Amino acid sequence: MLMTRGVSDAFLAVSASASSRSPAPPALATGRRLFSSLLPPSSSLSSSNRHFGPRRRLGRWSSTMAARAAAQRLENVDELIDSVETFLFDCDGVIWKGDKLIDGVPGTLDMLRSKGKRLVFVTNNSTKSRKQYGKKFETLGLSVTEEEIFASSFAAAAYLRSIDFPKDKKVYVIGEDGILKELELAGYQYLGGPEDGAKKIELKPGFLMEHDHNVGAVVVGFDRYFNYYKVQYGTLCIRENPGCIFIATNRDAVTHLTDAQEWAGGGSMVGAICGSTQREPLVVGKPSTFMMDYLANKFGILKSQICMVGDRLDTDILFGQNGGCKTLLVLSGVTSLQMLQSPSNSIQPDFYTNKISDLVTLKAAAV
Amino acid sequence: MFATSIAALRSLRARRSSLTSHLFLSSFPPPAAMTTANGTKSPSTSQPLLPQAAQSLVDSVDAFLFDCDGVIWKGDKLIEGVPHALQALRSLGKKLVFVTNNSTKSRKQYARKFTSLGLDVSEEEIFSSSFAAAMFLKLRNFPREKKVYVIGEEGILEELKQAGFSCLGGPEDGKKKVELKTNFWFEHDKSVGAVVVGLDQYINYYKLQYATLCICENPGCLFIATNRDAVGHMTDLQEWPGAGCMVAAVCGSTQKEPIVVGKPSTFLMDFLLERFQIDTARMCMVGDRLDTDILFGKNAGCKTLLVLSGVTSMLDLQDPSNEIHPDYYASSVSDIVDLSNSHTKGQ
Repeated sequence: MLMTRGVSDAFLAVSASASSRSPAPPALATGRRLFSSLLPPSSSLSSSNRHFGPRRRLGRWSSTMAARAAAQRLENVDELIDSVETFLFDCDGVIWKGDKLIDGVPGTLDMLRSKGKRLVFVTNNSTKSRKQYGKKFETLGLSVTEEEIFASSFAAAAYLRSIDFPKDKKVYVIGEDGILKELELAGYQYLGGPEDGAKKIELKPGFLMEHDHNVGAVVVGFDRYFNYYKVQYGTLCIRENPGCIFIATNRDAVTHLTDAQEWAGGGSMVGAICGSTQREPLVVGKPSTFMMDYLANKFGILKSQICMVGDRLDTDILFGQNGGCKTLLVLSGVTSLQMLQSPSNSIQPDFYTNKISDLVTLKAAAV
Repeated sequence: MFATSIAALRSLRARRSSLTSHLFLSSFPPPAAMTTANGTKSPSTSQPLLPQAAQSLVDSVDAFLFDCDGVIWKGDKLIEGVPHALQALRSLGKKLVFVTNNSTKSRKQYARKFTSLGLDVSEEEIFSSSFAAAMFLKLRNFPREKKVYVIGEEGILEELKQAGFSCLGGPEDGKKKVELKTNFWFEHDKSVGAVVVGLDQYINYYKLQYATLCICENPGCLFIATNRDAVGHMTDLQEWPGAGCMVAAVCGSTQKEPIVVGKPSTFLMDFLLERFQIDTARMCMVGDRLDTDILFGKNAGCKTLLVLSGVTSMLDLQDPSNEIHPDYYASSVSDIVDLSNSHTKGQ
């Protein structure tokens, strides 16, 4: 579905909350400038967007937002379920960890579906396309269709469509297959991706790294094949190709890429490009509400009728809050109770619970 | 070699506030330097280095501090007029010091580079950010039984080893890959007490993950950045991503800010002062980057000269959003001597 200009204005939702946040801490030891010249020329977005920038410690983002009551432990499950028409689920740390399903997930999804609830899966993990995620759900025994999945890889392609990014321009990708597949589906030509992970450079006299002057956008996401070649290529495009857009699929610091531990996330690769270009990206994944507006539009749902369920405060919960939804934090992923209750954290979800299967077990206990 | 210097520095530091807060404070842009009492910004005071100013600069300065990339050389190619200018300044009795944020070489390796380019510069005149990282740990009494994980190149490893520390990481880890499979466990050494991040052309995901685990999971693990330069002239023909890139990558995954030991932090200035015993007001910092070289000079109370032979153009200098104003600007190092000579001749 071709998105209207209005969807790209979704960034306003973020900028409204972002601009009221306390300013980013002083750039330690550098005079870094935060450019906002990343916005598409036809956009009506305000310049307050420039503060949608680097994420620091939890809570700095929303420290000046209206104070929210402390999160309550989820007890009255029925009340929550009845008040909501759609459940949005993050994936890593909520549905699965790496390739291992979290306990009780299938039963929970079945219960919600049987109550007529719409289920949508919103993940910042850009390594797979929606189609590839569909297959992952299938191999894990979950019945989820491609249309119910919104990955940040898809969001990047959808964003380019929403601004009528010209088909004769190219996209340089620092990221994995998921982004490439979504760009291809949307009809865009791309360069980079995993293949460039094998390329080396030689810092020798007379050596010049060429780059394609036709690249009009650089998309950066999680990339396990990250290397200096890609950083230089992306940097050259952003700095030297007039009007080149710098897009980040997401900025998650760490994520459960395997079941056993946390791994450095997309925030690392994006940080690297910010460091070399001294520019801030347009972020299409959570907590930006781009995907929220897209799916609300697509399914015709009211945001007040949505509950966002996630394991990260500064992406999932902030995403839900920015969108005006109810929010439920699960402690089965990157966030612990200690982190939630830490004095330095000011992102308070409406509710918290151990894992999503509590929606079933707490309900049963209440009977 | 630095045993007595370290003792002297410790006593110097004892007269100041704590090490970390000194670094922290000196890393910020000078507050209100360009803001007048009623809050308005004062106009730029940068002047082009004209003959009279050049003469007066040379007369009023006892030590010239030079950045290297973009000032002395670009990659492995000397910038025109440099050998002559350095020679002329030496013959006038000026001290020459080279302060570089490029951590890929140690001081010893830099001395070799100078020699190979036909410049007579000794190791004692060179202060690299690789050296700064090692000295920071030394001054802090970093325990010898702890290890240091390095995202960076040989220069950092060499300086750390010379200072007696055990290292992990460095270029070798550039060959390591990760397998994101079920039950795969990425191990890291729990005795790593510091992670040092600098320019690393062999940067990869393995190193990012290793550093992230150390910083986030080893209690009290320090996160040190040699510098945060965005780009630099690693080759003569174009700019390349600098340490700012690798450091920001680790900030992105740890959500922590590093202690920066290179410019514009004035950490290295303490070593210069101890070695040369010259008042900073009689020093001139010559560099091509506003937010490292010039800020360093200003933070330390030196005169500052921006040369346009590196990463900064006139446009950058005059951009309304630029708030860092060197005392002077010139096209390159050789102007200092050429213009000053032309003033002398003209008199």
